[in-house]
Amino acid sequence: MEKEKAYRMHLMVCAGTACVSNNSFKIKEALEKEIKKQGLENEILVVTTGCNGFCERGPLLVVQPENIFYQKLEEKDIPYLVEEHFLKGRPVEKLMYTPPKEKSPIPVLSDINFFKKQVLIALRNRGTIDPENIDDYIANDGYSALAKALTEMKPEQIISEIKNSGLRGRGGAGFPTGMKWEFVHNANSSNGEKYIVCNADEGDPGAYMDRSLVEADPHSILEGMLIGARAMGAKQGYIYIRNEYPLALKRIRIAIDQARDYGLLGENILDSGFNFDINVVRGAGAFVCGEETALLASVEGRLGEPRPRPPYPAQKGLWGKPTNINNVETWANVPPIITRGSKWFSSIGTGTSKGTKVFSVVGKVKNTGLVEVPMGLSLGEIVFDICDGIEKDRKFKAVQIGGPSGGCVSAEHLNLPLDYEQLTKVGSMMGSGGMVVLDENTCMVDLAHYFLTFSKGESCGKCTPCREGIPRMLEILTKIKEGRGEMEDLDLLENLAKNIKATALCGLGNTAPNPVLTTLRYFRDEYISHIKYKKCHAGVCTDLVPSPCQNACPIETEASSYIALIAQGDFKKALEVNRWVNPLPSVCGRVCHHPCETRCRAGEVDKPISIRSLKGFLTDYEKSNGQKPKVEPVPQKYEKVAIIGSGPAGLMAGWELAKRGYQPTIFESESVAGGVLSWGIPEYRLPKDVLQSEIDDIMEMGVEIQTDTTIGKDIQINDLFDQDYKALFIATGALVNSKLGIPGEDTQGVIDPLEFLKQYNLDKKAKIGKKVAVIGGGNTAIDAARTAWRLGADVTILYRRTKLEMPANEEEIDETLKEGIKIEFLTLPVEAYSENGKLSKIKCQKMSLGEFDRSARRRPQPIKGSEYELEIDTLIPAIGQKPDLNFLQGNTKLNISKWNTLEVDPETMETNVPGIFAGGDVVTGPATVLEAMRAGKIASESIHRYLRGESISREYSPKKPRLDIPPVQVSPEELSELKRPEIPTLSVEKRKSNFKEVELGLTKEMAMKEAKRCLRCDLENKGE
Amino acid sequence: MPKLNIKDLQKIKEKKKRTSKLREGGDYKVKVTVHMGTCGIAAGAREIMNAFINEIEKHESSDVLITNSGCAGLCSKEPMATIEVLGQAPVKYVDLDEKKVKEIFQKHVMGGNVVKKNALGKGSEKTDA
Repeated sequence: MEKEKAYRMHLMVCAGTACVSNNSFKIKEALEKEIKKQGLENEILVVTTGCNGFCERGPLLVVQPENIFYQKLEEKDIPYLVEEHFLKGRPVEKLMYTPPKEKSPIPVLSDINFFKKQVLIALRNRGTIDPENIDDYIANDGYSALAKALTEMKPEQIISEIKNSGLRGRGGAGFPTGMKWEFVHNANSSNGEKYIVCNADEGDPGAYMDRSLVEADPHSILEGMLIGARAMGAKQGYIYIRNEYPLALKRIRIAIDQARDYGLLGENILDSGFNFDINVVRGAGAFVCGEETALLASVEGRLGEPRPRPPYPAQKGLWGKPTNINNVETWANVPPIITRGSKWFSSIGTGTSKGTKVFSVVGKVKNTGLVEVPMGLSLGEIVFDICDGIEKDRKFKAVQIGGPSGGCVSAEHLNLPLDYEQLTKVGSMMGSGGMVVLDENTCMVDLAHYFLTFSKGESCGKCTPCREGIPRMLEILTKIKEGRGEMEDLDLLENLAKNIKATALCGLGNTAPNPVLTTLRYFRDEYISHIKYKKCHAGVCTDLVPSPCQNACPIETEASSYIALIAQGDFKKALEVNRWVNPLPSVCGRVCHHPCETRCRAGEVDKPISIRSLKGFLTDYEKSNGQKPKVEPVPQKYEKVAIIGSGPAGLMAGWELAKRGYQPTIFESESVAGGVLSWGIPEYRLPKDVLQSEIDDIMEMGVEIQTDTTIGKDIQINDLFDQDYKALFIATGALVNSKLGIPGEDTQGVIDPLEFLKQYNLDKKAKIGKKVAVIGGGNTAIDAARTAWRLGADVTILYRRTKLEMPANEEEIDETLKEGIKIEFLTLPVEAYSENGKLSKIKCQKMSLGEFDRSARRRPQPIKGSEYELEIDTLIPAIGQKPDLNFLQGNTKLNISKWNTLEVDPETMETNVPGIFAGGDVVTGPATVLEAMRAGKIASESIHRYLRGESISREYSPKKPRLDIPPVQVSPEELSELKRPEIPTLSVEKRKSNFKEVELGLTKEMAMKEAKRCLRCDLENKGE
Repeated sequence: MPKLNIKDLQKIKEKKKRTSKLREGGDYKVKVTVHMGTCGIAAGAREIMNAFINEIEKHESSDVLITNSGCAGLCSKEPMATIEVLGQAPVKYVDLDEKKVKEIFQKHVMGGNVVKKNALGKGSEKTDA
């Protein structure tokens, strides 16, 4: 990409359709020439813009930064204008026009992200002309390229112009168009007959650019073909178009009739002696007929099957005569190249791929549609700028480019400049330009299965590799999707794919394995997950998925069942379902990051079910009705197990072990149990009594918690085994705050967020200044900021990216903003300053978002010269934490990673030392409460197998819901009124200076209504 | 229709500009373009077209030119229409329904005031690099 260069002046030449037909591009050329002549080319940049709307005053020129409008420019005005205004600095009044100012203007189309980066060549007339009126096309310079080609150019000149332009086949393969034309031009035909064909047999799922082009501007294709016919010496052309495109078919036929009426098709066209006509051939919709030899067979009225090449159609095409086939979009590019010249066209695009490409972007993006962009624009710019990112701000996963023949590319390719070579290099292909954008809720095995099913159905059956090989591949994929796959299947799939690619007769078979190969290449872990863990993380493959919500839950809470029970009013049973797997439902009902809601299918068209709040409702309801069941201690029949740390991982492991009859003891260095749940998460999110009540239940069941006991100080880790503990689970979290690494941060007034939260939550005596800046975008940063705000400070959060990238829970961010806490996005502190040994201010730098990283988030990069100072007395850097492993005192041989975390087998949580297990943040670094609970659960299962002398390795089987609850009947009227409830919250005024719980929870009526909105995916996934 | 020669192309271009491009002293003061690609029609563009025609008939607006064109690109916001009032930038409206058409006709086509809540933007697209 060219580096942004600073110019003192920008000249914006209007390139709207009307201005272009008023020769605005000639004005642009004249300006550039004159500017160069005056030696101003390094100071002044000429750019083209979309229509400003004052077409009747065009061609228009806007001079920035002065914002001067010049109107009705002619080429002869340019030398004077350049000399007077741009060289001597005297604006030329007689050419000026000042538009009346609008009070609150609506955006200009070319400033809207969707249109901003698009450049229309093939789609130049889209949306502006009546496609059924030839005069409309002519009024926009239509058929003037033909006139030029017929009167001013020899066939050889036309061909060399197309060759020089660098135009390549837009149907997918990207063969240089001019070369193809030259082959046909030079080919001998016994009776002089040659043919040209327009391939409008667009059939890949997700692609519709050809259809749209024919519908919007049919004459542009006719004109392109006329010019091609002239260059190649063809007298007859065919447009092969799918019968299932009725509107396109109708419009192309009208266009042909009108062109014949005007004598633009037929004999002696435009009095030049040139004869050419076009017929339409309707295709029946066989995908293989997009392949050129199959298409030609179909045009001839034979069975649409491919044949081996050579001979290529340029030698032996229709009825054995030299024939040229180009795709719709290729033909539409021809007239502007003839009008504007090859130099202009080849100035757009990349080294090997010139001009623009039309993509139809569909799938999980906010703006779907047709996008024409210069070759070389990055994939990320199309997905995130033009199409505005992923729907519902979910995570980006992949883009399938080129339909069933193409391949998928992943987040690591978002910076990839799109052209033929780059896409081939990563295993995909330009194809015709269909782009299906996929989010985290897409299963890549299922995607490969989908496209392969399509290819299987469309295979013509002529050659064995395609006919027999694709169904075999599909069988394997089906096996994997159903949880019957084996690891060897992956090699088999890959071998089959490579063989089919190498040996199939035509393009369909050669490319059909691409979706499988690319998903294997970029998403192999998803295949392994299906095969080995019987898990489809996207929640798509129904045989492996109890329901998307249960599937997404780290501890596999049967959410669909408890939602169904709430809908029936059986709250007691609903909470019991939670307690099957979760000793902390009240806690989770408040602080869970609810991945279930991200996967919730109701969220596809509407908003997801408010699953977290429903859980919260259950525990509140039980409490307020005094119905909490008494926990019975479980008889202890097994060994003692030591657990270090009473956070969510430790509590979960203790609870699970006690349930099985072990005697777990949790060692906690603080005076209260709960870890970060008790002293890290502020009470306005998680009241202490709520947490304590659940910890009491866990203890009641048989878990002993020794507070004020620090391992490494009070007891050495190795001594635990001497005290008759037979296994050990380490869950000490990640509590060492990361430094910012900026000059001046070691000063009074810079405080550790966890220390601050702990001091306040345990002792109620945290010291905080008046002007506080919190650095970071995670939940710790938000908790620290909202706590400081409640203590009366003026708080600003500085985050180096934007809201979209913030890792904190979205509802927390929203409440933070409501409370009036400022969040400065795209801001990074670079230096801290002190006065008299105390923090006085920080220097901040503004950031902009640059290239994409592997998480599909844009990397922030500093904006030069954007530094500013912020006067503060307290700085809380909350940019991440690491585990503190000092308690080990070098007493074990545990493996430690380079991130200072403990290394474990992620499947079993066992460390390299027999009998010692670890999990939670001490292994993963800072993660969620639920991830820690999951680790505790897995560790307890492993400890059980270890102590019972069984093999520790896990066995996996597909999960199914335990309960079978019939759906509640909801009338259509009732259903249409159901919507996700707004969770009632404490008003902002009532939050100041106290730590009252902000979320007030759902009422019984709200909860039952919300539960009725559930789509009950579990019923669908149950199977027969 | 007699066959065209090259000069005729220019004549048609000029005639078309005279008749259908909005201009002072011309026949039309407003041009309504309903985007009728398959995507638009599937989203209800025919109903939108009929609604505009009904409004024109109801108000006997002889200076409103109604026409159609193909897909405007932003398929997820169909049905779309473009309204151009003489002397003003064309404005694209998105996600239309019959009720919105009535309001847009009253306020923008007849009154010259853009209905901002339904407008996507004004002007047209870049057709050059």
